[in-house]
Amino acid sequence: MAIFRPEEEAKVRELLDALERPVELVVALGPEEMPLHGARDIDFGAETVRVVEELCTLSASLSSRVEQEPAAVERFPAVLVRPEGEEVGVRYDGLPWGYELGSLVGAVLEAGRREPSLRAESLEALAGLDRDLAIDVFVTPT
Amino acid sequence: MLLAYRCALASPRITAAAVEASEFPKLAEEMEVWAVPRIVVNGVPQWDGAVPERVFVERLRAATFG
Repeated sequence: MAIFRPEEEAKVRELLDALERPVELVVALGPEEMPLHGARDIDFGAETVRVVEELCTLSASLSSRVEQEPAAVERFPAVLVRPEGEEVGVRYDGLPWGYELGSLVGAVLEAGRREPSLRAESLEALAGLDRDLAIDVFVTPT
Repeated sequence: MLLAYRCALASPRITAAAVEASEFPKLAEEMEVWAVPRIVVNGVPQWDGAVPERVFVERLRAATFG
């Protein structure tokens, strides 16, 4: 099954045309937490590979590869979003499907920008951070 | 979600992950995820719901860690 409806695919392709630099998607596979009852028939890792590979067909600036249990990744499957192949701490943990496929596309679009898209005041505030912050945003696909 | 990604791309001190709650139910329970989006910083739940960029950055700077 295609990950986008035809009209959505055309829109995503158009959005990806705006990428200003190449973006690499690394699918991290490893031991998965037991999913909720009713979801056990889904191979989350294989589905994530399929979604990412299909997304990559929509832009020449997108590429993907699969890694088994890369360092610093604790939850599997995960998708690491790397502008120009550089690890910058942008990740999607789980299978990006349904509404949340938009989050992965959003991450790609942001990573494809050469300049940060935050306001100047925000950049200034973040420049003053004196500690490392790991943000986890819990989401659901529906 | 996008704001978290934007912050990670803007600062080498920040990482950002979307976590699909239903695929990681044990972790979601530990983080007391009853509503989404739930924002967790350095393993400590902070707030629920989308907020404007200014508020997001202020809350990040003020994040408490248990």
